[in-house]
Amino acid sequence: MKRKLAGKQGNRPLISGRDSNGYFLPESLAEAVNLLGQAGEGLKVLAGGTDLLVDLYERLIEVEGWLDLGLIPELREIKVRAEQIEIGAMVTHAQLEKSENIKKTLPVLAAAAAEIGSPQIRNRGTIGGNVVTASPAGDLLAPLIAYNAVLELVGKDGVSRVPAGDFFCGPKQTIMKRGQLLSRVLIPRPSSGTIGCWIKIGKRKALVIASISLALVVRLAKGGVIADIRACFGAVAPTPLEIKAVRRLAGGKRLEQLDFSQVGELAAAGIAPIDDLRGTAAYRRNVARELLIQALEKVQSTGGEIIADQADC
Amino acid sequence: MQIRLTVNGEERVVETTATTRLLDLLRTDLKLTGTKEGCGKGECGACTVLLNGQLVASCLLLAPQADRAEIITIEGIGSAEGLDPIQESYLEAGAVQCGFCTPGMILASKKLLEENPRPTVEEIRRGLSGNLCRCTGYHKIIAAVRLSAQKMADKGEGKDE
Ligand SMILES: Cc1cc2nc3c(=O)[nH]c(=O)nc-3n(C[C@H](O)[C@H](O)[C@H](O)COP(=O)(O)OP(=O)(O)OC[C@H]3O[C@@H](n4cnc5c(N)ncnc54)[C@H](O)[C@@H]3O)c2cc1C
Ligand code: FES
Ligand code: FES
Repeated sequence: MKRKLAGKQGNRPLISGRDSNGYFLPESLAEAVNLLGQAGEGLKVLAGGTDLLVDLYERLIEVEGWLDLGLIPELREIKVRAEQIEIGAMVTHAQLEKSENIKKTLPVLAAAAAEIGSPQIRNRGTIGGNVVTASPAGDLLAPLIAYNAVLELVGKDGVSRVPAGDFFCGPKQTIMKRGQLLSRVLIPRPSSGTIGCWIKIGKRKALVIASISLALVVRLAKGGVIADIRACFGAVAPTPLEIKAVRRLAGGKRLEQLDFSQVGELAAAGIAPIDDLRGTAAYRRNVARELLIQALEKVQSTGGEIIADQADC
Repeated sequence: MQIRLTVNGEERVVETTATTRLLDLLRTDLKLTGTKEGCGKGECGACTVLLNGQLVASCLLLAPQADRAEIITIEGIGSAEGLDPIQESYLEAGAVQCGFCTPGMILASKKLLEENPRPTVEEIRRGLSGNLCRCTGYHKIIAAVRLSAQKMADKGEGKDE
């Protein structure tokens, strides 16, 4: 393992001293990419550490060194532009939960962030870590797909952009290549008339891995016609999953023209659940159907207000 | 490697390694054993400390991540002569049994009351949701936080800025 670059001295928070083997703290994305490019498998990219330190504790990973992204200012920023909202990979769940801009423009994402883990986890865990870990139960994944997010990856060969819906290929598997970093999440700014709902079912209210979750985002055009509708489930398949049949059935209609139980059936049929200790496959199909019905009813009855719900099971 | 951090108002320079957890640095190197290790995996909150004013689980932080940070542990709250109103309230409400969760609970309570001097029961539950207690059943802990809020209001502390 290479020694941590000594860097400039001064008041900057920079680890110094004799034995700094194995801890890299780059101050720019370019430096980070460069360090990652030179290193082997054993160098772990460290964001909030809430997944990595659990893996370390359980001895699931071999670590030869850490690449801590904590000093790269641009990764901590939320920028709201006319066309899109840009969220740096190191933005924490607590930042998302509290940001007035996120609550206003992406309320389904804010609601999902607000229910992750506990205050301690939300203060450290990041959007980038949630995405790259790619757990089927990662709570931000379904909202990101529902909002048509694009992930920006940076490597030594440059920058590439991938729709969130194409990023995940299995439990804890993504298309990201060794040597790449996730730098930002880019989300097209939802037009006015976009409404939605977040529902997470778990066995208790805090510190719980979802047994199933749903992010529903509906874009209404003038006159209440559904211009776009995205129903994305978490924890029901190897990857977060959009039920595209919902879009085909409901697009172009008005909410009150839909038979909600018929839409719910699409969810029950479209998911690929497993039996595990958080629920059986049959249970998850039933819940998926009911959740989608409930979400549609809520979206309809509140006429565009955002609802975040944490149901008990 | 060497890191520099402020712990309970005192600047400390510590020789550590890239895989040492902040929890171990506090307990083993600085002998601040008020911070407890329960699960080691972020689930119980026994290891809770304040890092730059934020509630964190010190078992999920590497020591180098706390370089130049300000840390408050339970040893930094109140003193033997003068307990913090929150500590007093925990005693008076009978919210301490084995005491293992108490340091983390007190820090979570402190943070909650700083941000929200008059929390509802639901807000208290949410504020303490990262801290588990195997003994009390939580009712007395919630009562202790309400009592603290009352005490702090009576003393004219903890008002909205
Ligand atoms: C007690 C507890 C409760 C939890 N509850 C929830 C919950 O309710 N919902 C939920 O979704 N998750 C939950 N989690 C999981 C975890 O907190 C989240 O997934 C979190 O968002 C991970 O982010 P992090 O910054 O801590 O990731 P880290 O642990 O730092 O990193 C995770 C992985 O992503 C990689 N990585 C991180 N950032 C980047 C980047 N920018 N570029 C490339 N690779 C990167 C790392 O190398 C690592 O492989 C919980 C965890 C714990 C310990
Ligand atoms: S020991 Fe850190 S949360 Fe349990
Ligand atoms: S008093 Fe024993 S764990 Fe809370």
